Amino acid sequence: MMPEVMPPPTNSKRVQAWVYAVINPVIENLRREVFFLAKGNITWQGDTKKCEYIRPICEYIQYSQMPNYEDFLADPLNLGFREKFEEHDGALSAVESSAAEFADGLIRSDLFQKQVKDALEQYQSTARANGQYLYLGSLPRAVAALLVNRIDVLPHHYGTHDFWEIYRNNFELFREGTSFQSVKRAADALMAVSAKLLLCLENHRQMLCRTYDIPAAQIP
Amino acid sequence: MPSSFEREHGRALLILDTGPIRELVLFHAVYHFKFQRLKSYLQFIRSPESYDQCGNFIRPFRRKTTSASVVCEINHWIRETEPTGQLKLWNRVYDEFRNMGMDEDVVKLLDMDSSSVARSGPVDVSLLEIAKKQSGLSPILLTIDRPLQCEGQQAGLRVQLIQDLLC
Repeated sequence: MMPEVMPPPTNSKRVQAWVYAVINPVIENLRREVFFLAKGNITWQGDTKKCEYIRPICEYIQYSQMPNYEDFLADPLNLGFREKFEEHDGALSAVESSAAEFADGLIRSDLFQKQVKDALEQYQSTARANGQYLYLGSLPRAVAALLVNRIDVLPHHYGTHDFWEIYRNNFELFREGTSFQSVKRAADALMAVSAKLLLCLENHRQMLCRTYDIPAAQIP
Repeated sequence: MPSSFEREHGRALLILDTGPIRELVLFHAVYHFKFQRLKSYLQFIRSPESYDQCGNFIRPFRRKTTSASVVCEINHWIRETEPTGQLKLWNRVYDEFRNMGMDEDVVKLLDMDSSSVARSGPVDVSLLEIAKKQSGLSPILLTIDRPLQCEGQQAGLRVQLIQDLLC
């Protein structure tokens, strides 16, 4: 027979560990996710084919705090979060695979390669290029990542700033295809999941803090 | 006003010290990636306007380079930050180098004057050596470090403080 599960006492250290080591870092990162996704930027990187700043939930937890993460998921007080985290990670996985499919399609496309080559040649023949390097790496891959992440403006000191300012609109047609629409749909779905999970975690943190009388962050 | 050399050749070479690279990376991390905890590390580039001013200064240079010693100094700074964010910061540094087309020069210790190294440290001396070696390109050294500015000016080099670029 399983022993009866006792609710944690007031000021419980276990609950504090959930809040400080699990809920707080996840909330901080979900806020960043929502910030990026609201702008359509999925922070996708062509070399890793992953979203740099949108990660599976467990990657937001410090490695040394994984036992607290597992304890959080196992306790009935936090019922439903395992499924919510899985829903988030599944939505992220859909975003990453649709982004990779879109970018790989672009790189394989003769039309896209030609358009990058033509734009580069045209740019290099202008006074604005003035012998400046453009990008240390593959320009088609960089352009594909800019399209995936819906970046409109680059910092002034980036080598690609002027190039992107001039030619950005020429590449817009590649965002009209079905494969980009599937990136957009996946990103919108992830945005909805992340925003819902964020709200849920904020409410849950408030409930835990009130019920167990603990501060929402560690006091230095 | 641009000099006659600049009018003729455009701005050829910018040499970046650790401070400006750190400021650019930090601003990007804080304002574009919402790493608010890093905000307290920002010294000079604290607003989008000052970021743009700095970017506009850097933009016309055809080549940008730094010293390998600067990368070591960046490493020391990143090691002082929260361990969980260190990979993200390094990713930002990589992005900054890739996007700026940053080159890197190595100046060997044995090629540097020992009394200068004892006085200013190998990072500053290596940057001044790079500027001297590339004097034909009329380089500008960008820093936040006033003693390095004085040292460079005494050696007849052009040194720009980031704080003097910002209104």
